[in-house]
Amino acid sequence: MQPIKWLVEFVEVRLGVKELYNRELKGYLLPRNVNAWYTLGAVLLALFTLQTLTGILLLMFYVPDAAKAFASVQYIVNEVPFGWLFRMLHAIGANVIVIALLLHMLSVLFMASYKGRREFTWLSGFIIFNLTMGICLTGYLLPWSQLSFWATTVATDAAGAIPIVGDYLVEFLRGGPTVGNQTLGRFFALHVVGMPLVLLALIGAHLFCVKRRGISPPPFGPEYHATEAKPFFEHEKHPGGVPFFPNYFVKDAAIICFFIAFLLAIIFYAPGLFFPDSAFQPADPFLTPPHIKPEWYFLWAYQALKIFPSEIIGLGVQGAFMTFLALLPFIDRGPERRPAKRPLFVTCYVLGILLIVAISIWGHYS
Amino acid sequence: MTTHVAPPQRRKFLITMLGGLGALIAAASVWPVFRFLSPVDTGGSSNQVFLARDVVAPGKAHFFQYQGKPAVILQPTPGNFVALSAVCTHLGCVVAWQEQAGEFLCPCHAGRFSADGQVLGGPPPKPLESLVVQLDGDQLKIG
Amino acid sequence: MSRLVCSLFVVILAAWWSMPASLLAADTVCIQCHGGLEGRLGEPVAQWQTSVHAENGISCHDCHGGDPADSAMAMSPERGFIGVPDYVDVPDFCGRCHVGVAEEYKAGAHGQAIENGGAQCVVCHGNHAIEKATLELINEEDCSQCHTYERAALIRMSLVETDKVITTVEHDLERLYRLGFAVDDMQGELFNQRNRFHRIFHGVDVERVRRETADVEGELGKIVKQVVSMDSTLSQRKLWGSVVIGLFVLAGVVFLLLRKAYEEEEKS
Repeated sequence: MQPIKWLVEFVEVRLGVKELYNRELKGYLLPRNVNAWYTLGAVLLALFTLQTLTGILLLMFYVPDAAKAFASVQYIVNEVPFGWLFRMLHAIGANVIVIALLLHMLSVLFMASYKGRREFTWLSGFIIFNLTMGICLTGYLLPWSQLSFWATTVATDAAGAIPIVGDYLVEFLRGGPTVGNQTLGRFFALHVVGMPLVLLALIGAHLFCVKRRGISPPPFGPEYHATEAKPFFEHEKHPGGVPFFPNYFVKDAAIICFFIAFLLAIIFYAPGLFFPDSAFQPADPFLTPPHIKPEWYFLWAYQALKIFPSEIIGLGVQGAFMTFLALLPFIDRGPERRPAKRPLFVTCYVLGILLIVAISIWGHYS
Repeated sequence: MTTHVAPPQRRKFLITMLGGLGALIAAASVWPVFRFLSPVDTGGSSNQVFLARDVVAPGKAHFFQYQGKPAVILQPTPGNFVALSAVCTHLGCVVAWQEQAGEFLCPCHAGRFSADGQVLGGPPPKPLESLVVQLDGDQLKIG
Repeated sequence: MSRLVCSLFVVILAAWWSMPASLLAADTVCIQCHGGLEGRLGEPVAQWQTSVHAENGISCHDCHGGDPADSAMAMSPERGFIGVPDYVDVPDFCGRCHVGVAEEYKAGAHGQAIENGGAQCVVCHGNHAIEKATLELINEEDCSQCHTYERAALIRMSLVETDKVITTVEHDLERLYRLGFAVDDMQGELFNQRNRFHRIFHGVDVERVRRETADVEGELGKIVKQVVSMDSTLSQRKLWGSVVIGLFVLAGVVFLLLRKAYEEEEKS
């Protein structure tokens, strides 16, 4: 008997993997009209895995100490073989993850995939989105550059607008009156252990929800039918559908390859895209660099804080908007999912995107 | 397509191709990781170490780094220097100098070495590795 | 009311975000008073604001002394106020900071002739509106106000090449710095050589300028060599990066073709 066959048989008789494969992979059927947007979940899994691996490598040389952090990153980038590559993969990979998350969320919104009793799926996804932002924010401080320092100062300062507890909250977030070694310590711990652990659990919960409830079919074409809500739980099956593995998996793999190629293309052809000047200067608590701006995905929030007459109103509006998004499946309860039959939703969707993009561009140039 | 190949055959060809591409991509990913993790040359592996003559008084021992590993220099009689690797040949602990007894004792399993590195007792299988010392004016040249 | 608060808020934030370093240095009593004066007493403020000194946060009191925080005592000699130096004292006035240049200048023909009207610092460089020095300062029109241009032309000629190299290397280092390369040491060395270079031609001795310039060029050559090696590292990375990008794109395409094969099977 061939060694591979022998090995498969060895595992099979002990764990019954063939049945598992036939049920969970080959027998996991997706709707026939499933489209490329459905690969974004797999893309995100791949990108999060890449972040974890590059993060572990960077941890081997990174020193979470205000006096040494900047130099340790310089050392990684300049002295350690391929350190520059892993640093760039990690820093630019974070931006690509945000892009993929936004696309994933926007496609789910457009196809109203959150409908049909999928509130938990949406909610867990929405929390993952916010947590990822938190991981980005905490990771941003670690290189201890001027950019890190002042972006964190401004971001934590925003909490000061909350009445009564604001000032204390700012100090609590920073672990002191200003951003310093204590801030670096807590952000480091949260970035490398705390938040990733929670993220892992949430991704597990999200996947469980998706799998348990069944894939929501795209609301296009003649196969579309509005699902009626039954008073009991029912897994949404797709008889005669596309087997997940290997048939659909190869499409996941294709888009993952394209995303990684995109990430590498930024690294090799536009390495400075996400690094302003202040990212290369060591943090100086006594000198605010001119024209400091948050990362592109926080620009809308930054600008929103500036246009409202007071910070508390700005924060309130942002909070209300995010809460509305989080609770969308509880608010938008109609069974209709076809975009053509939901003119009000699609109008709000398009205008909303345009508004956020416009505010972000305004924030970038203000 | 002018010549249509049946999907199963096409699939087989494509999968073979993917195997090749996958191997290349795997190599391109593993190589940087391997280089990243390879031991760094910290400059501690220089073949020669210079010490001031007065770091070690007669009868005393002085420990230092030689090629990245602990080493020791003794002055058993005035003007006479001995340099040895301080790594015990049993399991790699660093030996301690017993000034009164004039010998080395390994704290891990009580291996004993004489001042010139010979095994006096205990589990060590070999004498301590001896290093070349030369007196060069006020300097001791090791290696 | 809320509109007022709103606009006030926006103005404060805008000011905070866009505050360049030089403005921090500008808020002194010197500028508060002289900024509002007319003619000879007010002009220097506007001129200074365009200068390389302002750009680097060097304010009035850094040269003229006095107390920038106390308007009553601002121009008191007790607080070190100097005011306008005499013609022959200008080299010492500027030389408090530009030490090397002043030393070289004093030993040279211009410096030796200062009592007889030999050119001093501000004759060529100007005073309050001082800009970053370039070779353009050595030109026929200005030099021939006092003497023939011949010797100056020779000096300028022997400086042109080195000046170009310095500018190019400056840009190269800036570019590499923005790619994350640690170029601090190289920038420090370039700064040294640039200073040395700027210093030597203030002695206006053609032979010496030629000799020392050759030396500076040798040192610059070492920095250029490092830049070239970093650039070749970069292009090598780009080459291999492109190959790997190509592999991923190719793999993606093959996966898509595979999907197509599966699709055809699913249909049949």
